[in-house]
Amino acid sequence: MRSASPHRLDAEKLEFGGGLEVLLQATLTGLQTNQLLDVAVASRAAALEMPGWARLHGHEVVDELDRGAAGCVIRIRRGEGQRVLGERLADRHEPPPIRPGGVFHSADMRDEAGIPDDVDPEVGFVPIGAVAEQGAPRFDWRLHRRDEVWAPEVASLAEQASGEQWDASHDVPWEAARDLPEPLERAVAQVMTFIAQNEYAALYVPAGFLPQMHPSFAELVMWLSSHVNDEARHIEVFTKRALIGGFEGYAMASTEISLHSLLAEHDFTASALLLNVLGEGTFLDLLRFVERYAPDAATATAARLAHRDERRHVHFGISHVRHVLADDPEQRAMLVHSAERRAAKLTEMSLSPLLTEGLTVMAAGSLSPRALGEGAEAVRHLMRTMERNRIRRLRSAGFDAVEAQLISDLHTPNLM
Amino acid sequence: MSTASEVTVGAVAYHPRVVTIWESFRDYFRGLGVPTDYVLYSNYERLVRAVLEGSVEIGWNTNTAFVSLERELGAEAQILGMRDIDAEFATVIVTRRDQTFEEVGELARKRLALGSRDSGHAAILPLYYLEEQDLPAGSLELIRFDTDIGKHGDTGDSELKVVQAVAEGEAEAGALGDATWARFRTEGLPAAAELEVSWRSPTYYHCNFTALPSFDPELAARWQEALLRMSFDDPSMRNAMTLEGVRRWLPGDRSGYASLELAMQREAAAAG
Repeated sequence: MRSASPHRLDAEKLEFGGGLEVLLQATLTGLQTNQLLDVAVASRAAALEMPGWARLHGHEVVDELDRGAAGCVIRIRRGEGQRVLGERLADRHEPPPIRPGGVFHSADMRDEAGIPDDVDPEVGFVPIGAVAEQGAPRFDWRLHRRDEVWAPEVASLAEQASGEQWDASHDVPWEAARDLPEPLERAVAQVMTFIAQNEYAALYVPAGFLPQMHPSFAELVMWLSSHVNDEARHIEVFTKRALIGGFEGYAMASTEISLHSLLAEHDFTASALLLNVLGEGTFLDLLRFVERYAPDAATATAARLAHRDERRHVHFGISHVRHVLADDPEQRAMLVHSAERRAAKLTEMSLSPLLTEGLTVMAAGSLSPRALGEGAEAVRHLMRTMERNRIRRLRSAGFDAVEAQLISDLHTPNLM
Repeated sequence: MSTASEVTVGAVAYHPRVVTIWESFRDYFRGLGVPTDYVLYSNYERLVRAVLEGSVEIGWNTNTAFVSLERELGAEAQILGMRDIDAEFATVIVTRRDQTFEEVGELARKRLALGSRDSGHAAILPLYYLEEQDLPAGSLELIRFDTDIGKHGDTGDSELKVVQAVAEGEAEAGALGDATWARFRTEGLPAAAELEVSWRSPTYYHCNFTALPSFDPELAARWQEALLRMSFDDPSMRNAMTLEGVRRWLPGDRSGYASLELAMQREAAAAG
């Protein structure tokens, strides 16, 4: 229906290419189809360009009302059709809160209640709060059900991750790692190589889930990205620590076998159990051990910084598995089975002697018999601590005592 | 392969996106029960020949191709539709902002850049309209950019060269389609920034879907009805329609081609 009185717009001296098109679009967007808009322009060139512009954008110049020294008035009829094929954008509404100190916390982007249980797996990259335009290409996200991937603390963990970034080149006192005695440096190089090797798997597992994650779960996307980023830094820092002393270590096949089986797990929750809860959980104790017995400040710093990140990863894993078990107790059997399935692929009976020896020498600080005796005791203590804490974490994730013991027993002797 | 009930449309492959457009259109027409397939040609002369010989039933022609087809046919063809953008088409002449003119007579003895010589909007019609205003081609120094001959200016390449030539001072003025100019403006083409439109031609029609008079009128009507129903608000069609530069299909008619017919007659006469 045509409006009786046209809307008026004084574009003053604006030209096309100089902002006139922006003003026209902003004004025409607010009009109904067939409504008229009288645009006053000072420039003759703008008046001459108006019909072409209008036609290109689906509108029509219907009249030129006045062409005098002061410019002219062009009457445009708004064309039909929406510029964007989506629901109308809502009016201004209550924005998210800002916390003391001016912090916009990731957990405040939306209410958890507003996170959908199941998202259309074909919908693509639509940020939180945005309106999706129709006609976008269709995707096929594998992880589109909230309870398959969710952890109640995920937004806070992602927030922590971005606040706790560090720099492996500058934040580690590398000079301190020079010129250690040979047996000790060889041991450190082997332990660092082993950790770096494991950190690769810790990167590739979340990286593999990232492109399967529905973009609607932005918190998960942010979380997995931070996880990947953390592990990249861990690979970096432990590789650098291995290199800096001038010796090399072995990337052991037994470690590869264990990590290979970890990458073969394609279920998100089973993977969270095997990697985050069991693997990285066990690594927490290992890193504490390395920090405590490090012969130099560089090694201690690397272990301390990595430990801080791994704690977040373990926290996510426990939180997610607990969420899944609370939501669907039948997952219990599936998760136990995933641990059994992996164990079936593992051929090693115990931790690689090369690693045990390396840890022992590190803890001993030398090859003197008395020191080695104490070092061996420290490693035995580490193994007991690892098992005790593994069971504690499994219990915290929601498994009963029997299940926790079973899963812990099935865990890889490779630690990760 | 064309079947008895299938309409075959010929189009010119001026860009790889033409395949995307026609794959989408083919699905669309099939969905409405008017099975349609397409055949692509490398130039409009081959397309016109294909329509005249009956290899395809409908040609998606430029205005120049349409006029050539009717001239060869010696009769009126059927027009089955055109884009909204094809109605009220115009040619503009751009100059640098400090070299604008009020009357086209001021262009006498100046250098005028033109697009491909087979482009109605960027070469044939600008010369025709200037002559109508007593400024024959002989009184201008013409700088022609004859790129993509056979595509009738569809690629926009020659018009880009026209704009660049004016921006760089190789020509005082340049002619191109008003929609192309608006697009350059919208895209923020750097060469366009220092130019402005000094003159705008009368309007004319551009492309249309052309069929021979012998094409089954009932099938023509059904095909046209399907075409006109295509909606820019249909998410499955918006991409193809955007690529084709159409928001709404119009039935089309014969009223917008008289100037080009005269212009092409004059050109033919001048060529002897």
